[in-house]
Amino acid sequence: MARLNDDAQWIVLMGFLVSFSFFFLALVINQSTIVGQTTAESVIEFSKNDIRDIRDVIITNTTLSNLTVINNDITNISLSCKSAVVYYNNEDHFIHYYNGVTRYNERNWTV
Amino acid sequence: MVKNDNGQLYTIEGFAAGLIMVITAYLVVNATSVYTAGDTHINDMQLEALGSDALRMMDIPINATESDNRHSDLRTIIENSQFDTFRIKFLDYTNESGSGPGHDIQFNASYTCRDDSSNDVQSVQMVNSRNLTGGEHTVRSTKWVIVDIGCPPEASRERAVLVEVLLWRD
Repeated sequence: MARLNDDAQWIVLMGFLVSFSFFFLALVINQSTIVGQTTAESVIEFSKNDIRDIRDVIITNTTLSNLTVINNDITNISLSCKSAVVYYNNEDHFIHYYNGVTRYNERNWTV
Repeated sequence: MVKNDNGQLYTIEGFAAGLIMVITAYLVVNATSVYTAGDTHINDMQLEALGSDALRMMDIPINATESDNRHSDLRTIIENSQFDTFRIKFLDYTNESGSGPGHDIQFNASYTCRDDSSNDVQSVQMVNSRNLTGGEHTVRSTKWVIVDIGCPPEASRERAVLVEVLLWRD
């Protein structure tokens, strides 16, 4: 080694600090994409409207003449169009809804 | 080379101050919003809620105790195949048409019914505001309606059908 020059060691150290801080900032920005996506997706996939709608159509139509056929309508169409298992019973006042992610059970509803 | 090591501390201080300024500017610029790719789902969510609300409004009878008005608009539309009325009302409820600032929403509506004898589920196209080409980014809003119609080839009876509306923005 010809000549040891130990000037400006602090500046070199600061350079390291800055480069590392940029690295961590990049990590944070990278994570923020996933955070926004999963939050919005979980909200949009939560079947709030489906459950409200199916509960509404069941409990506001308890006086029709052919309830058994309508029960079959709702059960079959839910399975084929919504991929949701629906079971309900007008006598026991019982509703079961499950779409593989969200499960909803209600007993003894009152109109 | 002149060896001059004066002012090293000032240099360090200058760098530290610069760093603080850069970080402050970064925080201020980012404080408003970071719009990431995933945030587009929030728009979808709002569009789906808008469609659900419009369908729900259409399925509320004017007066359930009057014999003339006890059926909702949506039920009357499906029973009498007044699909153009559906288009007009739906576009009105989603603020696409009518007075005030309009949206750029397009939709495609259909309903699904079940044939009781064969247990087949079949969809009936109702109306759309523009043909689906497959490139649209659609969301789906649905509504259960009790109607008295035939589900071909089965005869007419009171049944539950699922009205499905695909919504998208231009």
